[in-house]
Amino acid sequence: MQRRKNWYAKLLRFYPKPYRDRFGEGMEQTFNDLRRERRESGEGLSGFALWVFVETSAGIIKENLTFMIRQNTTRRIVWAIVAVLILVILLAMQFTNEVQWNEAVAYGVILLAAGGAYEMVMALKKRNSAYRLAFGVGLAGALLLGWVSGAVGIIGSENNSVNMMYWAVFAVGLIGSLISRFKPRGMARTLFTAALVQMSVPVIALFIRPAQVSWGGAGVIGVFVLNSIFAVLFVGSGLLFLRAAHKENQN
Amino acid sequence: MANNKVNAPLTPAVLHILLALSTKERHGYGIMKQVETDSQGKVNMGPGTLYGSLGRMIEAGLIDESDKKRDPEMDDERRVYYKITGLGQKALAAELERYRKVVAVAKQKRLSPKPIAYGA
Repeated sequence: MQRRKNWYAKLLRFYPKPYRDRFGEGMEQTFNDLRRERRESGEGLSGFALWVFVETSAGIIKENLTFMIRQNTTRRIVWAIVAVLILVILLAMQFTNEVQWNEAVAYGVILLAAGGAYEMVMALKKRNSAYRLAFGVGLAGALLLGWVSGAVGIIGSENNSVNMMYWAVFAVGLIGSLISRFKPRGMARTLFTAALVQMSVPVIALFIRPAQVSWGGAGVIGVFVLNSIFAVLFVGSGLLFLRAAHKENQN
Repeated sequence: MANNKVNAPLTPAVLHILLALSTKERHGYGIMKQVETDSQGKVNMGPGTLYGSLGRMIEAGLIDESDKKRDPEMDDERRVYYKITGLGQKALAAELERYRKVVAVAKQKRLSPKPIAYGA
């Protein structure tokens, strides 16, 4: 019972801050009132909780979009350009066979990434220098990991499916960043976890495919050294995020 | 500007909330229950829809927040109450007038909500 209440309070944290400050308490009270009503009438709570969570999540998406669009004109222009270009691609597909679905999806992802990059730069501008450096180091580590594991391979060659386990590092980074809402302490925890996952991959590989754990002529040691480089980058980034959190608290 | 707000058609959620607040001020859960009663259980708003609509209605000047107070029929938590404004009352009246006209046209055409009676 208490667990659902806590989950709902956590879900409300995804609303834009001004909205949360204004309606968060009321929404929590209303959720608790509805929950109490259900409990007293002997109706099941699981279906109700799922409905409220889905309904509130839809509200979170809507309010965040509204908040983003209202924030400033440049942002509106950037996202309008992204939307128009995506529409142009979709329209082009109706009139020509030159644009294939996979190409359209790739264009769409690139355009959304460009919009995301703009958002990232704008968000970083508001942060202190330690945060920006931490973000840069973490991002560089992630990009380097993607490039090395995809192009050369960290465990054996790039075709070795064991390298797919490195996706877990990206997943931890992405999910952790979103859950922590990019706050420095949460980001630090995320980066430390990413480093841990990074070092776990060769260990797991040693158990499941011991013969393949090798990096060129450097063998098993080479694999662990290479993984350590990434782990050090992530830990370094995490420490910088802690420093950024400390600086934010001082101000 | 205000005249535009009054005459613009209302979304079903906004209409139901204005109806719920037309008799007295209510807190979030109170509005939900009143909407459920008014619609005979057909409209079920979750907190996401309700508070999203309340936010937009406050911005449009249709409703207003009043001070936090306790609901004597519930627990002793202090809650924010919402009340309809003059502009909200006019917007509600305009919407109900629109509905009346639509019903009048339907009656003129001898249309009934029962599908079998259409075109009869």
